[in-house]
Amino acid sequence: MSERDTFSFIVGGRAGAGVKKAGSVASNLFASMKRYVFQMDDYQSLIRGGHNFVATSTSLRPILSHYMRADLLVALDARSVRAHREDVREDAVLVYNSDEVEEGDLPDGVDAIGVAMKEAAKEYPNPELRLGLAGPTALAACIGLSRDDLAELIEREYKRDLEANQAFADAVYDAVSEKAGGRFELEEGDEERPMLTGNEAIALGACAAGLDVYFAYPMTPASTILHFLAKHGKKLGVTAMQPESEIAVANMAVGAAAVGARAMVGTSGGGFALMEEAFSLAGMAEVPFLGVLSSRPGPSTGVPTYTEQADLHFALHPGQGDIPRVVASPGTVEEAYILAAEMLALVWEFQAQGVLLTEKHLSESRVTAAIDLDSAAEVSPVMHEDGEYKRYVSAENGVSPLLFPPSEELINWTSYEHDESGFTTEEAGEIAAMHDKRNRKTEAMKERLKGMRAVNRHGDGGQVIFTYGSTTMSVLEALKARGLEATVVQPVYLKPFPVWELDEYSGANPIVVEQSSTGQFATLLRYELGVEPSKVITKYDGRPFEPDDLAAELEKAIG
Amino acid sequence: MAREFITEVENTWCTGCGNFGIMNAMKKAVGILEDRDIPKSRIFMTAGIGCHAKIFDYMSLSGLYSIHGRAMATAEGMKLGNPGLRIVAFCGDGDALGEGIAHMMHAAKRNSDITVVMHDNGVYALTTGQRGPTSPRGFKGPSTPEGNNEDPWKPLVLMLEAGATFAARGYSGNVEQLAEIVAAAVEHQGFSFVQVLQPSVTFTNYFEEYNEIVTTLEEGPLEFDEALRLARQEEPLPAGVFYRKEKEPYEVSINRGRNPVEDRMRREKRMKAIGDTLGG
Repeated sequence: MSERDTFSFIVGGRAGAGVKKAGSVASNLFASMKRYVFQMDDYQSLIRGGHNFVATSTSLRPILSHYMRADLLVALDARSVRAHREDVREDAVLVYNSDEVEEGDLPDGVDAIGVAMKEAAKEYPNPELRLGLAGPTALAACIGLSRDDLAELIEREYKRDLEANQAFADAVYDAVSEKAGGRFELEEGDEERPMLTGNEAIALGACAAGLDVYFAYPMTPASTILHFLAKHGKKLGVTAMQPESEIAVANMAVGAAAVGARAMVGTSGGGFALMEEAFSLAGMAEVPFLGVLSSRPGPSTGVPTYTEQADLHFALHPGQGDIPRVVASPGTVEEAYILAAEMLALVWEFQAQGVLLTEKHLSESRVTAAIDLDSAAEVSPVMHEDGEYKRYVSAENGVSPLLFPPSEELINWTSYEHDESGFTTEEAGEIAAMHDKRNRKTEAMKERLKGMRAVNRHGDGGQVIFTYGSTTMSVLEALKARGLEATVVQPVYLKPFPVWELDEYSGANPIVVEQSSTGQFATLLRYELGVEPSKVITKYDGRPFEPDDLAAELEKAIG
Repeated sequence: MAREFITEVENTWCTGCGNFGIMNAMKKAVGILEDRDIPKSRIFMTAGIGCHAKIFDYMSLSGLYSIHGRAMATAEGMKLGNPGLRIVAFCGDGDALGEGIAHMMHAAKRNSDITVVMHDNGVYALTTGQRGPTSPRGFKGPSTPEGNNEDPWKPLVLMLEAGATFAARGYSGNVEQLAEIVAAAVEHQGFSFVQVLQPSVTFTNYFEEYNEIVTTLEEGPLEFDEALRLARQEEPLPAGVFYRKEKEPYEVSINRGRNPVEDRMRREKRMKAIGDTLGG
């Protein structure tokens, strides 16, 4: 290896060939070597065929992105060679399925090793399904794992049809070892860390704060929160439910919160659109309501399994009317855990609504994460103590105490404008007073955020770069890749916008990096801070930034 | 502190409106339920938007005044969040069968343990009389000046086919019977649906017609096929409990027998479960 401190592995093939599994097993192998890992799954919205790949990169230092220039590429089909021939490094190893790949398609100058994978997999009832196993096996050979260690790995990760798996792996292992055995030396790191995705971190963070119920309708890239909570809900004490639509999802969450259950919902842009009337209801009724919006490229159906940040303004303004709201976006998987807990606590503290905005790139990327579980916030709402209850009694900070059934008191939550008791009103004075009450919550939330870390600053000195959400990871990794000096400013909270932490940048000319075609984040910064970006670096082809490519753009912009 | 059942909010229903009958029946039903050990404090209500929904302000029962078409979903969330409560969703025919029909059908399908009381006046009254899903063909309103050119739905047929485990019809002109029906519906564990024939004196004043054709169903509940046959019948219109079946409510299985708000894990236990989940 050169002075680079990262190693990248890509496995590609048709959907149904076990590509995702192969990538995960490779990542687990790196993690078991006590290294840091970043795994990015690139897959299409289909079940069989097409082209899927996993890029997983590892380092002895914390790593915040995959790299597309691979040290080892395993191509399970011909399309994977064509798709990634430009991605391999000069000193790379390419292991390809020689039953499908024409030699003429192979890139020049790389060490190409053909393995008759189809032939080797013929023992299986459905050989296509087992091709993926070639990925971790080739990796094991290239990093000098012994045959026994490989056998152990397979026993752990590929239990079904174990005997056939071992035979297939042996054939691949021998072929690769002969030409590139132990080619790459990967040092052992300092500590084995658990691997999890952003969505898993969000689910666990919400659980940590005291989540009771999760409602969601399937929609990529948010669906894995639902899957995770459905699978682990029994142990975690959470009910996960899939209703008939996102409209039902959001309204059920409102109903659940009204009886005291800490609810959360999750979706992507299309589902979020259907939830808007419920956001508005929650705003009027002052129902604690937390929604996860995991973005994919829009508009409309868009590109379901890829990434984009074009829902920023949508997340800031769902639903009709003036509504106090908190919107925040995590920059890393660790932060996703902390933020999910913090936001659930905040929406209950202020009986307000929250949008946890994220993107496919964070939701579905899988990383080694060191999370201080106990640092999660805890839901702790202000409760009515005794005496006559008025749901919307006037309060200095706008927050009226909560009371849940069963109770002898009358508890009236309502979507209509109302008096302090929750009865419908059309009186001019009462209408204005209730607007004022709700708006006071925004001021109270600002005061609360002032005591928290609402903005992350990474690095100190040189060019100022503004970014947010999952793009934070790309920017930080790009700077690392080139050893560039910069101050990266990442507002975690986007509403209320933490201007109090960003005063010094008013009138500045930062570089802005984001994944939307119109520069939605730059627009927000202009509006909130009065900055005029010197350069807005955008990417809107569904793919996350690649650190080397982004570094080159940043270098040019910094000048 | 004892409160009057009827609040002091100014009542703005038209004089003679069928909604008064429904509210009086609900008041009686709450009394019946108290006698059956279901205290008023455990009844939590919701309503859609429309003339029917004003019942939310007029009755001294706790709940959440929801939005048009969504009361059934709101109710399901309430029941799932605290299965120890009895949830009643008041909705209109436009509310439940127009904007919110998906929620109605699915609540019945999954046997969610809520009670839906559908005020069926065959018109969008609060918005000045447009035709609704149960308006008869030929009905003239501001959006159908030449007459409604759609046929009406028969709500009981839909609900029976969707899987309701309790299906009944009441009449706002027969408060005593309606009170018994609503009490039985709230007591029923599973999805209960009550269609209430409720004339609107301003737009659909069917009182005289209903007094002729609404009869009492003496022999209910019936076998499913017989209930369905009777639900399809256009005249006479029997009122009573058409169908009733014991079946485990949805919220029992989805919550694995737990009550989410009463059985919440303490933080230490939760953190340990999270650690275990992360550990593999």
